[in-house]
This record gives sequence, structure tokens and C-alpha cells, in this order.
Amino acid sequence: MPLSWALLASFLLAAAGYVVGRGRALASVGSDARRLHSRPNYHGCSVALTALLPPLAVLAVASALRLTDVLTDETGAVVGILALVAAIGGLGLGVMRIGQEFQARNVVERMVLGLLMLCSLIAIVTTAGIVLSLVFETGHFFQIYDWKTFLFGTEWTPRFQGNSQLGIVPLLWGTMYVSAIALLVAVPIGLFAAIYMSEYASRRVRGFVKPAIEVLAGIPTIVYGLFALITVGPLLRDYFAQPLGLGNSGTSVLTAGLVMGIMLIPFVSSLSDDIINAVPQSLRDGALGLGSTPSETVRQVVLPAALPGIVGAVLLAASRAIGETMIVVLGAGAAAQMSLNPLEAMTTITVKIVSQLTGDSDFNSPETLVAFALGLTLFAITLVLNVVALYIVRKYREQYE
Amino acid sequence: MYDTNRRVENAVNLNDIKIQARKVQVYYGDKHALKDVDVDIQDKTVTAFIGPSGCGKSTFLRCINRMNDTIPIARVEGQILLDGEDVYDRRVDPVQLRAKVGMVFQKPNPFPKSIYDNVAYGPRIHGLSRNRGELDGIVEKALRGAALWNEVKDRLQEPGTGLSGGQQQRLCIARAVATSPEVLLMDEPCSALDPIATAQIEELIEELREQFSVVIVTHSMQQAARVSQKTAFFHLGNLVEYGDTDDIFTKPRDSRTEAYISGRIG
Amino acid sequence: MTDMPLSRPTDMADRKPSASLLEQDARTKARNAAEKRFRLYGVAAIAISMIALVVLLATILTGGAGAFRQTYLNIPVELDAEILDPKGNRDPAEMAKVLTLSYGKVLDAAVEATVARHGLQIEGLSEKDIDNLISKEASAQVRDRVLAEPELVGQTVEFDVLTGGRIDGYFKGRVTMESAERDSNTSPQQLQLAQELADRGEMVTRFNWNFLRYADASDQRPEAAGLGVAILGSFYMMLVVLVLAVPIGVAASIYLEEFAPKNRITDIIEVNISNLAAVPSIVFGILGLAAFINFAGLPQSAPIVGGLVLTLMTLPRIIIPTRAALKAVPPSIRDAALGVGASKMQSVFHHVLPLATPGILTGMILGLAQALGETAPLLLIGMVAFIRDVPGGLPSGLFDPASALPVQVYNWTQRSDPAFIERASGAIIVLLIFLLCMNVLAIWLRRKFERRW
Repeated sequence: MPLSWALLASFLLAAAGYVVGRGRALASVGSDARRLHSRPNYHGCSVALTALLPPLAVLAVASALRLTDVLTDETGAVVGILALVAAIGGLGLGVMRIGQEFQARNVVERMVLGLLMLCSLIAIVTTAGIVLSLVFETGHFFQIYDWKTFLFGTEWTPRFQGNSQLGIVPLLWGTMYVSAIALLVAVPIGLFAAIYMSEYASRRVRGFVKPAIEVLAGIPTIVYGLFALITVGPLLRDYFAQPLGLGNSGTSVLTAGLVMGIMLIPFVSSLSDDIINAVPQSLRDGALGLGSTPSETVRQVVLPAALPGIVGAVLLAASRAIGETMIVVLGAGAAAQMSLNPLEAMTTITVKIVSQLTGDSDFNSPETLVAFALGLTLFAITLVLNVVALYIVRKYREQYE
Repeated sequence: MYDTNRRVENAVNLNDIKIQARKVQVYYGDKHALKDVDVDIQDKTVTAFIGPSGCGKSTFLRCINRMNDTIPIARVEGQILLDGEDVYDRRVDPVQLRAKVGMVFQKPNPFPKSIYDNVAYGPRIHGLSRNRGELDGIVEKALRGAALWNEVKDRLQEPGTGLSGGQQQRLCIARAVATSPEVLLMDEPCSALDPIATAQIEELIEELREQFSVVIVTHSMQQAARVSQKTAFFHLGNLVEYGDTDDIFTKPRDSRTEAYISGRIG
Repeated sequence: MTDMPLSRPTDMADRKPSASLLEQDARTKARNAAEKRFRLYGVAAIAISMIALVVLLATILTGGAGAFRQTYLNIPVELDAEILDPKGNRDPAEMAKVLTLSYGKVLDAAVEATVARHGLQIEGLSEKDIDNLISKEASAQVRDRVLAEPELVGQTVEFDVLTGGRIDGYFKGRVTMESAERDSNTSPQQLQLAQELADRGEMVTRFNWNFLRYADASDQRPEAAGLGVAILGSFYMMLVVLVLAVPIGVAASIYLEEFAPKNRITDIIEVNISNLAAVPSIVFGILGLAAFINFAGLPQSAPIVGGLVLTLMTLPRIIIPTRAALKAVPPSIRDAALGVGASKMQSVFHHVLPLATPGILTGMILGLAQALGETAPLLLIGMVAFIRDVPGGLPSGLFDPASALPVQVYNWTQRSDPAFIERASGAIIVLLIFLLCMNVLAIWLRRKFERRW
């Protein structure tokens, strides 16, 4: 591992540079630190950074080139030596620059600022990585599979031996069906809970219920998934589906939808809570002062004023529901079908992404690559929902500052 | 100006007593915010509450239509009688009370609805009209009463929040007037307005007095002198002095009142 | 005090007011009824949420408590030197050639001897039923012990051996005589035998530390499945997230909140971050698969890949609260520092950042907690695989295959034996305990720092 050794050596050189730089700076003014432009520590840091950054850059570029197979593994030693040379060169430059008038602090601060900026760019790099990897592999998929059949096909029957039908329509149907049920559960309950908490609840009730709802929000989705699998699913099957003759599947759209609804309650209620509290108290006073009851105040003044924000919150909740994975994997089932019966097992985009990518089939087969096309579809849908929702919520917040 | 005031003052004694407060105490948590307030407020009169900030004048105003109920830590003791009925009686519904005792707030707070819907809001919730025609009539009457009709009659469907500050405040007055209250409480209604808008509101208060008992909290002694017939001076949670406005400003009997009027406290 | 004589309250009492406040008119009554209904909806919404929470936690707790107790059969085992050390030289290298199968025979003999010693005879009980009292994993455990201490060979040693999953389930109430009737893996006679042995004190059910230590076990041996590898894997991943996401997240927040000029690029970064926080987690899994495994060639199932994916996912969730915490520091503090000649950078690092620490710590811990419970992206990067080997120490352990707590839960739910459901619920209890500790820590840290500043 010559590269790790080069990295370690660079760090050691940088540490040595700190000590040397600090010492030289003090020596240059006869140990009277007040005559320096910058404190000795800054001189030390400036030397350390000028020694460390060049080899890091060399190593980063080399690693990137190796990943793209431009460089072979045998070049490791050369790269390592190159990095060491860069480190020593940086060290020399840093030490040379030291002097009474050298503005070490400004130099260090500029470098730190650069690092901070670099860190904030990671968000953009991540998004670019997501988009690139999805688009790239989806392109592969469409080279070997007709995109029209994918987008408009109503059959989903992947086969190992090839000739699979990979239509997204049944998956979209399942996704929308489960999400719709989840929102039907979560929006009214979450909204009413938020209204009650902000307009009616006494401090004691709030002090107890708020943390409890936060607990609900902190529970990982795998827990909800297990809850759907071992409790809600069998319950619905034994007490609704079988007696009513509507099927006998332990997994169903209704199971996943109900449990996902419970998961979304705290999400909807905490967003709505923020939004309702942003409505100025003066509007409430105005309505109460005219003799409205609290509920009339809420329904006719607070909610209309908060409506845009609440619409945004619902869109964000919808995006969460569409992208949720573990609950549907464990609760909704794996059968790709389009049915209106909520007690039947159906499947969603996320379920199929998991099953296609955790299967054993060849990575370059359409059965695996389709997962990336599904991922791109999912990303596009949630992106639109998120951007619209965030825009609405932002505008709404600005309205009340 | 002076002449009008004289004439009005003569008429004052003919008016009935609308509100009687007896031994009113208000606590915010542990803080005793209002102590032993006794006062009689007359019908068809403008009564001004003055005093330095935090003296309890707004607190008392908010007791009269029980707006303090909306503050969880506030507690009110004593009696406030409206036409002889204690508004803090357990049988009284604050909703019905507030229809009778309207309120205008410090900052104009029109609802984010159209001008028409703002004014029609009270009549609608209280069921004061049987049909759209009647409601139109009520809205027009209220807007005329608030001296706003001519400015907004062509744009009733535009949002109330688009009006200027003074217009917004007059809209809020129209909104309060539309429920035909018997008492109108105003909590520093001009403090957020410029001098011209303030003059318009003051003129309006003078007109409103013909129909209602008006109680106004104000920071400005000049305003109290201009618009009111009766003045009450509050200081540190006590009602220090209450009487004809002219007497309070010209021959105060309490040294604290005098100190406040001459600008030494407050 | 006032210049007016006060009227007596009774003066007005006999005056007829227009409408008394003391009686509600019909309309007010109707409105108040509507008010009550509306309130009731609110109460119902809260009640439904609370009931859901209680039912959810109760099912998991009751279902998973069993995983923390395990039934053992206490038997003397004669470690026959003929079978276990055919060469007779007690050389561990030689003895390692003896297969687990041979230990199985030794154990079977020991179980049969114990049953015979107690003179237990149950009609219809087969020899296979007797041998299957104990877990198939037991022989491997005895073998490990013997290889560690070769001098035991030839002696008769008392062992607490794992009982089979059905026997264990019987003592926990999961398996009954009725269900055993229909079960090909056990029989009522076997359960009866187990009961007899328990009555004679040979069976013990005690706290199951091994649940937290053992690796996963195969489909047939739920009784031997543990969380050891998963806990270690999750720990490694959290370490990666802590080392990468926290410094990068805080640095990015400082730049965006304190230094970034208000321009298009900053705007794009901000929209990007709030959007990334709402991207479905499974998409990050696809990114990890495509970028880290296919493109960069990192090993599948490795904690380093999981950690990187979770880092990218957690970054925006750390940046958002960190920025809020920085924003909450009053501008007067910055002005004060700049006023005495500190540079902008110094004012931020010496004054603003320490003041924002409680908020940053809280956001950080909550972000980590969220990452700890995340499952979907880890499935895609292969952490769903069946892993028996404990990963090595740091840093090489970061590249060894490992599992993760939530993924282990998913893995167990996909097994056919219902005993794994109990294990899955038990794993969730462990996961929830970790999350609870993190949240308590967040609250504690925030309180402690708040007092100081």
C-alpha cells in the first residue's frame, strides 16, 4: 500500500512543518511574538497546510484515475513518491515564506474557507452522483429493452431465462394505491392532532403527547414493517379479508397503507404544527374578538391562512409515502397486479427495486438493470413533489416572515 | 373642539350605566396584574383608559369581553356586569358575549380574505342575516359606519390585506361594527398608524359613540383628551382615578395622575 | 378614588336587557355543539396516535422478550477419546480434523443416557425425538470448547447445551401440544419428554447473553442465531458516519450560514440540500451500489460502503439542524467579536460555534439515530447476505463482510421458522434500546451545555 504510506508520511511532514514553522516565525523576530503580523500558531498552521494539501491533491487525482482505469495498480509506487515530493515542496515553500510581515493568518483562513466551501459542494456532488448513476444505468437498460414497453406495459413478469415483461404500470398502481391509503390515514389524523395540540391542549397534555408523537417519529421503518407483517397483516386477513371473502393474503395494500399512515402521522402533525403556529396570533384574536368559537377560528381563519403550507406538508408526506421501502416490502406483498381490492397483495416500485437488485441474476441483464429505471422514475416523481412542496412551504413562511 | 366637548359632557350624565366592574383582580400566573378595579362605564360614551405601559389598562379591557380566557395562565376574580349580568357567570358563553362586546386590536389584523368576507364574517357566524341581500346591506352599513365605504365599494372582492394601514384598521372596525355590538373595545387602535390615519379613526370614534359605548385604551394623552368624555388612569395595576376627561386633565386629584399628565412618570 | 359615586349592582338588575347573556340562544347552542364535535375529532386523532404507539411497542416487546431467554439442557457429556482424538496425542491441529458430526454422536449418546438415567419412557417417542431435544448447533459449540481445552477429552464434563428451537419455544409458550401435532419438526411426545426433564431440573431457561454475542445461524437453527455480527457491523458504520458526516456537515453549515455570498450557486446548494433530505433512502442505496461497488470496486456487504451511503444520506439531516443552531446565535455576538478586532473566521470558530454546540450535538445525534435505523439502502449494497464470520478489528474490519441491526431484522423476517420472528422482534428491542440511549444522550448533552452558556 504505497499510497497509504505516502498519506501517513504527508501527515507526519505536516506535523513537523507546524513545529518548524512556529519556531522559525518566533526566531525571525527574536522571540517577541508581538512584532509578528500573525500569531506563531498561524505560521505553524500555514506551513502544515501548505505541506499537506499538495500531496492530498496528488493522491486524490491518482485514486480517481485508478478508478477509471487510466492508471494501473503498478503505478502505486510512482504516485507515492510524487505525493512525497509534493509534500516536501509544499513544506519548503511554507517555511520559506515565514517572516515578520508574512500574513499567515489570512493565508490559513483562506485555505480553511476553501475547505469549508469544498464540504458544502458535497451536497451537489451527491445529487450529481445520484442522477448520473441512475441515468447511466437506465441508458444501459433502454439499449436492451424497449422504453415504451417499460413505461406503458401493464405486465410485470421477470423471468430468469429472459423474455421478461417489465411494464411499470402495475408497480405505479400499487405505489399510488398504498400511498393514497397512507395519506387518507395520516393527513386527517396528523392534522387534527396538530390542531388539537396547538389550539386546545393544556400544557400538561402537550407535555405528554408531544414527546410520545416524537417517539413515533423516531421509530425506524423496519419496525413498522415488522408490525405490518406480524400484527396488522394477520389481523386484517383473519377479521376482514377472510370473513368478507375478499382474499386470504397476509400482505395487502391495506396493511401497508394503514401502517405507513401511522408512520406518517408524526411527520404530518409536526409539519402542520409548525405551519399552524406560523399563523399570527393577531388573526386568532381578531376572530375570537368577533365571537367565533375556537373551532370556527380554526376552520375559517387559521386553516385557510395556513392552507398553502399544509398543502406543501401533504406533498412532502406523499413523497415520503411513495419512496418508503421497508413497510411495503414486508406489508404489501410481491404480486404485481392491478386490482381495486385493497385486501389483495400488490407491489410497489420500491419493493421491486429491492427484489431485482438483491436477486441472483446477472448484473447486465434487463431484469437487474430495470431496477435503475425504476429508481430513476421514483427519483423523478419524488423530486417533483419535493421541489413543489419546498417551494410552497418557503413562500408560505416568507409571507409571515 | 372645546365647545363640542362641553356640550357632550353635559349629555354624559343622562346616559345609562352599561358596564359595572367590581373588585376585579387579574393574575398572570403568580403576578397580580390588576388589583381591585371598580368602575362604571356609561352607554353611548367614549371612555379612555390611560396610563404607562404595563399598568393593566389593556388587561382590564380584555377582561370585559373575556379575551383573557385565551391566555392559559390568566385568572380573573371579581365581577364585571354587562347590563347587570356578570360576564364571568358560569352560564355565560364567551362567544355570545363577544358578539355583544366587539373588539378592535392594536395592529390591524384583517383576515386573509376579501374585504367583503372580512366584514361579513361576524354576521355569518352569528347568523345575523337570512339571505345574501340582507348580508350585503349589513356589510354596506358597517363599511359606511367605519367611513370606508367610498374607498372600497368598487373592490369589495379584493383581499383586505391589500389596503393601507389606516384602511385596514377601519376595515377591522367595520368588521367589529357589523355584528351590531353594544360595546366596542379598542386596544390602542391608532398606535400602528400615521397621523392622518389616526385623525380619521378619531373622527370615526366620535361618530361611533352615537350607537355604542366605546372603551379605548390609548398611550396618547392628547388622544384621550380629544376623543373621550370619561377617562380612567391606571398605574401599576391599580385604577388610580376615574372621572370626566376634562377634570382628569385639568384638575387631577391624585398626585400620581398629575405626575403622569405632566410627563413625570410613564 | 374616583369622582363618581358608584352605582349599586342591583340598580340595573331589574332592567330588561335586549337578550340575556345567561341563556344561550339556539344558534349558540348549535355552534357550541359543533365546537364540542371538533374538539372530539382532535382528541380522537391524538388517541388513535397514542393507541397505535402503545400497540406497536407492546407487540414488539411481548413478541421479542422471548429472544432474551433461552432454554438449555444440562447434561454430563462423556467426551470419548476414541472418537474425538483418534490419534490420542491431544494435538489441537490433529483434533480439528474430527468433524462436528462426530461430536453430534457424542452428544446424542449423552442425551440418551440422561433420558435413560431418569427412567423416562414415553409411548411413541422415537430415538430421533430424543436426539432432537438439543440444537444442531450444540455439537459445534462443544467442539469449539474441546478444541480450546484439549485436556477435557476423555473426561465426563457437564455441558449446558442449547435445546432445539421447538423445545425452547415450548417453554416460552410459542409451541403447544396442539401445534406440535401438526409440526413435522417436533411431536407431542418430544415436548412431554422435555417437560419431564424440566420437572427433574435438567432443563434451565435463563437470560440469553448469547443473543447479543453469536453470529447469525442457518434456517434450521433459530435458537443459535444472535446479533453479534450485526451489532459490530452497525457500530462500524456509525463510526464511519461519525467521522465523515459530522465534520463535513458542520463545515458545510458554517460555510453556508456564515460565509456564503448570496448568489445563484449558494441558492442551488441550499435547494439541493433540502431536496436531498427528502430523497427516498432507497435511492441512496442505488447510488451506493452504482458508485461505490460497481464503479469504485469496494467490496459488497462491507461496513465501509454502508457507512459511506449512510454518510451521504445523513449529511443533509445534519446540515439542516446545524444551520438552525448557528442561525440562533444572536448577531450581537458576532459584532462583539469583530468589534475587538477578531477576523470573521475567528469570530465564527471562537464564539459562534461554541455557542451553537448544543444544537449541533442534538442534530448530530438525531441524524446518527436515523442512520442507525435505516434499512433499505443497506439491502441494495448487499448487507442482506447471510454472514456467520465476525468481522475483524479496525480498520480492516471495515472491509470485511458484516451485517447491520435493521438488516438482520429484515433477514430474519424472511426465514420460514416462526422462531425467527421472535428473534427479529428481539433484535428490534436491541435497536430501540440503542436509539433510546442516543436520544437520552442528546437531551442530556443539550441540558448540560445550556446550563454552561
